Amino acid sequence: QHRRCELFLFPPFCNTLNGLFLTIYRLLHAKRTFHASQQCSAPLPPLPEKPGQVRYGLIPEEFFQFLYPKTGVTGPYMLGTGLLLYLLSKEIYVINHETVAGASILAVLIYVIKKYGATVAAFADKLNEEKIASALAVKNDAIKDLETAIEQEKKEQWRVEGRSYLFDAKRNNIAMLLEANYRERLLTVYNEVKKRLDYQVAMQHLKRQKEQDHMIQWVEKNVVQSITPQQQKESIAKCIIDLKALSKSAHATA
Amino acid sequence: MTLTLFDQFSSPQLLGIPLILISMLFPTLLLPSPNNRWITNRTSTLQLWAIKLTTKQLMLPLNKPGHKWTLILLSLMVMLLMTNLLGLLPYTFTPTTQLSMNMALAFPLWLGTILIGLRNQPSISLGHILPEGTPTPLIPALILIETISLAIRPLALGVRLTANLTAGHLLIQLISTATMALLYIAPAISIIVSSILLLLTILELAVAMIQAYVFVLLLSLYLQENI
Repeated sequence: QHRRCELFLFPPFCNTLNGLFLTIYRLLHAKRTFHASQQCSAPLPPLPEKPGQVRYGLIPEEFFQFLYPKTGVTGPYMLGTGLLLYLLSKEIYVINHETVAGASILAVLIYVIKKYGATVAAFADKLNEEKIASALAVKNDAIKDLETAIEQEKKEQWRVEGRSYLFDAKRNNIAMLLEANYRERLLTVYNEVKKRLDYQVAMQHLKRQKEQDHMIQWVEKNVVQSITPQQQKESIAKCIIDLKALSKSAHATA
Repeated sequence: MTLTLFDQFSSPQLLGIPLILISMLFPTLLLPSPNNRWITNRTSTLQLWAIKLTTKQLMLPLNKPGHKWTLILLSLMVMLLMTNLLGLLPYTFTPTTQLSMNMALAFPLWLGTILIGLRNQPSISLGHILPEGTPTPLIPALILIETISLAIRPLALGVRLTANLTAGHLLIQLISTATMALLYIAPAISIIVSSILLLLTILELAVAMIQAYVFVLLLSLYLQENI
């Protein structure tokens, strides 16, 4: 990929600048020379577990290993001390206010890294873990859903076996419903017919009663009419004599 | 070599060859290069997390056309952050201490927001000059004041960044000079002063990050008004 140079002032300057950018870019991203080597993108080689071992946060272990055969364990330290003293004594490195400022920023940086380094690393690891976990969760959820679907399918297949019983039961149910409905209607018909017949019977009774009552009334009326005053007097006297006799017998017994 | 207090602000050069461009591009070397992995190493993961967080914070208030500005604003912020943080190391040159660079960053971006506003919604853009609910007699004075405040924004942006960083760097230099000078006269006071220096360094670290964020946040606010 080419980075475009935004300085439109001088074409030759632009070309050299473009060349400079390209060189810097190629130096920085040298590992992306895809077309120039046998590199294959997938599967990617796994990331190393630990970063390169460093001593004092700056100097790689390989340097110490490199000097070990000739100068032993203290070799690199002697080299470092000697170099430092040489630079200081020859005033190649001058101690001025920047040294103090540098020392203070170094102190702050080292403090921050020592205190929060592990936390930040754990946080980064947690981010990665969450990413992996969410992808795994998708896969596991899909698997679980499919397994549930399989179980439900098996249950449906088992249900199919009992289908004939279900249909028989349903048929029986419907037959019972029909029968009940028929009997209900039969009962309704019976009740209706009975009501009508009862009505006719009641009508006949009423007529009979009325006739009887009328006849009794007519008979009574005629009898009362036929009682003459003479007969009335005689019957009253007889009643009085009877009453006297009765009272006499009542007195005798009492 | 004896340094004066202002040598750190002079444009870097090597035998007359200006190195300003390299010093401006240097911070990009600190950023991890994009990886074609799904699970990256810790640095890339943290960088991705931080950029996602800031992008969401910065770009949510903007509407859809405003999201076109995401790339420029985020890359500006990352560049300012890295430049400011690198400038805290000794013997480094911080490009953002130069007013020229900060004005070159602030002015075109601010002008861009203004022009977008005037082009797409001129009445709303101009309407920002008068706040709602001002009493009528105050209107002329307020319009003048608001116009001046609008015009002074790029200046404020640039100068804020420059001043904060320059002042911080200068203070660090001054206090470390004081520490060094007092070391032979009164070592106890020197230790006190060096503790002040430590606190100041922590402040400068914070300021470096905050100023980068504030620069980009204000630009996004100006964009919000106009887009």
